[in-house]
Amino acid sequence: MTKPQTNRPDALEVQNLVVHNTVLTAVRGIDFTLPAGGRMGLVGESGSGKTLTALSLMGLLPMGWQANGTVRHDGVDLITQSDKAFSSRRGRTISMVFQDPLSSLDPVRRIGFQVSSVIRRHTKASKQEAEAQTLELFRQMSLPRPEQLMRAYPHEISGGQRQRVMIAMALACYPQLIIADEPTTALDVTVQKQVLRILNNAVQERGCALMMITHDLPIIAAMCDTVAVMYAGRIVEMGPVSEVFRAPRHHYTKGLLDSQPTMDNIALDGSSRLASIPGMVPPLHSLPRGCAFHPRCSAASDRCRAEVPQLETGQRRAACWHPIEAGADATVQAGVTA
Amino acid sequence: MAIYVLRKLVFFLGAIFIASVAIFLLIRGAGGNVAAVVLGKGATPEAINALAHSYGLDRPLFVQYFDWIGNMLSGDLGRSFRTNERVSDLVTARLSVSIPLALSGLILGLIIAIPVGTYAARNVGTPSGAILALISQVGVAVPVFWAGILLSLLFGVRLGWLPTGGWTDWSVSPWGAVRSLVLPVLSLGLIMAAVLIRYVRSAVLDVMNQDYLRTARAVGMTRTEALLKVGLRNASLPLVTIVGLQIAELIGGTVIIETVFSLPGLSRMMLANVAAREVIVVQSTVMLIIIFVIGVNLLVDLLYGILDPRVRSSR
Amino acid sequence: MMTMSKSTHAPAPASGSAGPGVPISPPARKSRRRLPRNASLILGLILTTIFLTVALVSFFYLPSNPNIPVIRNRLLPAGTPGHWLGTDVLGRDIIAQLMVGARTSILVGAGGATLSLILGTIAGLAAAASGKITDEAISRGADILLSIPGMVTALVLAATMGSGALTTILALTAFFTPSFTRVIRSAAMGVLNEDFITAAKLYGRGKIFVLARHVLPNIAGVMIVQFTLYFAAGILTEAGLSYLGVGVHRPSISWGLMLNEAQQQVGVSSPLAIWPGLAIVLMVLGLNLLGDGLRDVLDPKLARRAS
Repeated sequence: MTKPQTNRPDALEVQNLVVHNTVLTAVRGIDFTLPAGGRMGLVGESGSGKTLTALSLMGLLPMGWQANGTVRHDGVDLITQSDKAFSSRRGRTISMVFQDPLSSLDPVRRIGFQVSSVIRRHTKASKQEAEAQTLELFRQMSLPRPEQLMRAYPHEISGGQRQRVMIAMALACYPQLIIADEPTTALDVTVQKQVLRILNNAVQERGCALMMITHDLPIIAAMCDTVAVMYAGRIVEMGPVSEVFRAPRHHYTKGLLDSQPTMDNIALDGSSRLASIPGMVPPLHSLPRGCAFHPRCSAASDRCRAEVPQLETGQRRAACWHPIEAGADATVQAGVTA
Repeated sequence: MAIYVLRKLVFFLGAIFIASVAIFLLIRGAGGNVAAVVLGKGATPEAINALAHSYGLDRPLFVQYFDWIGNMLSGDLGRSFRTNERVSDLVTARLSVSIPLALSGLILGLIIAIPVGTYAARNVGTPSGAILALISQVGVAVPVFWAGILLSLLFGVRLGWLPTGGWTDWSVSPWGAVRSLVLPVLSLGLIMAAVLIRYVRSAVLDVMNQDYLRTARAVGMTRTEALLKVGLRNASLPLVTIVGLQIAELIGGTVIIETVFSLPGLSRMMLANVAAREVIVVQSTVMLIIIFVIGVNLLVDLLYGILDPRVRSSR
Repeated sequence: MMTMSKSTHAPAPASGSAGPGVPISPPARKSRRRLPRNASLILGLILTTIFLTVALVSFFYLPSNPNIPVIRNRLLPAGTPGHWLGTDVLGRDIIAQLMVGARTSILVGAGGATLSLILGTIAGLAAAASGKITDEAISRGADILLSIPGMVTALVLAATMGSGALTTILALTAFFTPSFTRVIRSAAMGVLNEDFITAAKLYGRGKIFVLARHVLPNIAGVMIVQFTLYFAAGILTEAGLSYLGVGVHRPSISWGLMLNEAQQQVGVSSPLAIWPGLAIVLMVLGLNLLGDGLRDVLDPKLARRAS
C-alpha cells in the first residue's frame, strides 16, 4: 500500500463535525485528517452516524439535517459552501459511490449518457470526447462490451456492472477524494471482491484519497491504511489499520473484531459460539450519560457512567477511560483475508 | 417493443368491441319502447308499430346491432330519426366548440398543476406547502359547474368583462369565440388543476426521495437542476398515466360546463337527443366518445413505453 | 413523511458530553412542525357529523315546506327573520331546501358508494383469488368500463330509465364499481401474497374461508377509506347530474338542482347560487378529509404512497 505523500495538501481535514436535525444529533463532534492519496476506513454499526458523516462531507444531507464544524477540502470549507458552489465540486474534486447501484442510477437514461454528461459538466470536453473518455473508463472498469454498454439502460445490466458504472461516474473527473458508502453491500458475494479490486486499482492509479465506509472489517483491512471506529456519533478509536486490528484499545473495537466470523470460530456443531457485543446500539434520543458504550462494556466503571472520554492524541487514539493495553489480550484476530 | 404495441392494439380493439355491445344493450335494453316514448301517452299501438317499423326498431336486436356497427365501420354513423340529418354532420358541427374547450381546459390544468405541484412537493412541511395542500383539497371539493357559476358571477355579472354564456361562432368572429370560451376554459382548467396538483405533488415527492436524484446531485447538479433535469422526467411517467385516466373526467366536466355557459357543444346535443330518444344519435355519439377515450389511453400506454425503457424491454 | 424529526421529542443529549465549543443543542431554526397528524381526521369528522345531523333533523323538523311556493315571500334577502338565508324566486325557504338537499346528497352518495363497494369487493376478491383467466377477464373488463366517462353513463341511464334518485344511485354504481374492483383486487392480492395466507392454505383452509377470515379483515381499512372517498365523489356527481336536470327532481331537492334553478336567476340574486355550492364544497371537503385522515390511521402503507 502506498504511503500518503506529504507534499500535497490533505484531501480532507474534518474538525468538530456535528450533524443534527431539530431534535436529534447524529454525529457529535468528530475530527480526522485524510492525507492526499490516503485511504481511511470508517467502521461502525448501523446508526453509528457513519453514513450521515459521509453525506455531510458531500453536502447531500437529507432534508431537515444540518452540519456544523469545519470540513477543509481543496482549500475551502465545505460546510459554508452554497449549494451552487458545492455542486460545482461534487463529481469533480469530491465524489461518492452509493450503496445500491440500481436505485442510484437514473432508470430512464442510457448509461453512456449518464457517465459522459458528468464529464461534459465538469470539463470542456465535447460530446464525442466525453463519450470516448467514458468508453475508456468502462474499459478500465473491466466492463464487458463497453460499446454496447454505452447504449444500455441500468435495468439491463447486472448489479456488479452497475456498481462499476457508478465507480466510473465517480472517478470520471479525477477527484481528489472518493467516498464509498458500503459499495458492495447490495451486491452478490461473488462479485463483491471483483468490484472492490477494480475500485482499489482505479483509486490507486489516480492517487485519489479514499474514504471507505463499511461494517465489513476485512474490507477495511484489505483496502485502507487508517481506520476510524464510530460509535453513537463519535469516533471511539482511530489509528493505522494493522495496529488497531491487531491490538484494539477500545472495548467496542475489540467487540467488533471478536464478532467477525472466521472459519475457525464458525464451528458447525454449535459448540463454540460467535462472540457478540451484549445489548444494542442506543437510540440517538436516549444516549446514556458518560461514555455511550458503557452499558454494553465489561470494563465500565463509575467514571465511564459520568464523564465522556475524549479521543487521545497521537498516532493510536482511543476514547476510553480504561483502554486495553497492548499485550493484555493477544487473542484478537480479525478475519483479514479479503 | 413490437409485442408491447401489438398487445396494446389488441386490447384497444377488444375494448371498443365490448364497449359497443355494452352501450347498445344499455340503450336498447333498458330504454323500453322507443317509439312509444317518442309518440307520448295516448298513441295507438298501430301508430307505435308503424313508427318503430319506419325507424327499423322492430328488427331483432342482433340484426340492429350488426347493422349499426357495420355502418359505423364503413364511416356511416347513422341519421337522426326526425330531422334525417347525418350524425356525423351533427357531431362535427359541435366539435369546434367541444374540442377547443376540453383541450384548453386540460392544458390550462397542466400548466397550473405542474409548477404548483412541484413547488408544493419541495415545500412539504412548510406553511406555504400546507396552504397549497389545503387549497387543492378545497379545489377538489368544488363542483366544476359551481366554479363556472361563480366565475360568471364575478367576471360576467359584477365586472362585465366577459359574456356569462352563449356562443359566437368562429366563422362570425374568432375573437368572439375566444371570448365566449375564456370563462368555461378557466372553470374547467382550475378544477382540473386542483385534482392534478395532488398527483403532481405526490409524483414529485416520490421522485425526490429516490436515490438517483441524490446521485444527480452527487455528480454536480444543484438541487433545482437535479429536480428539473432528472426528477421531472421520471415524475412524468406516473403523470402520463394520470392524465390518461383524467380524460374521462375531463369529458364529464366538459359536458357540465357546456350547460353552465350554454355552449352549443357535443354534450348539449347529446342532452337534447337523450331527451328526444334519438337512440341512433345517442348511441353513435357515445360510441365516438368512448373510442376517443380508449384511443387516448392507447396513446398514453404507447407514450409510456417510449418514456420508460423498463416497460419496453420487460413487457 | 420527509423529515425524520417528528419521530421523537426526547430531549437532546445532555450538554457537557461533547467537546468544547460543540453546539449540542441545535441552533434556533424556522420551525418545520406540521399540522397535528390527525387534524384532517378531526376536521373531516366534524364537517361530516354536522351534515349527517342536518340530514337526520330534516326528517323531523323543517323551518317551512321547501316545495310550496309562497309568492309574497319571493326572493327575500338573507337575514330575514324566519328565512335566515332568504328565499328563492318562488318564495321557498333556502334553509329548508338545503336541509332536504343534505338528505338527498347523503342518500344518493352513500347509496352509490355502498352498492359499488359491495359489487367491487365481490368482483375484486374473485379476480384476486381465482385463476389467471378470471382475473384477466375481470381486470380488463374493469379497464374498459373505466374508459367510459361516468357522466356519459349517467346520461344514458337517465335517458333510458328516466331520472330520479334511484337512477342516479345506479349510475354512480356503474361509474364507481370498476375502480372499486381494481382497488380491492390489488389490496387483496397484497394480502394473499403474505406468508400467513400460505400457512392457512397449507393448513387446509378453503378459498372462501381464507377470503372471509383472513383477507377481508385485512383489507377492511382500505374499504372504509375508499368508501369515504367515493361517498364524496358520489355527492359531487349527483350534484352535477341534478344540475344538468338528469338527476334528482322535485319534490326531491338536491343542492345541484337548487343551483340549476338558481342559475336562471343569477345576477338577480346571486346568494341563491352561493349557499348550495358552499354546502356541496363543505360536505365533499369533510368526507375527503375524513378519508385522508382515516387512511393515515388505518392504512399507513397506502398513506405514505398516496400523499
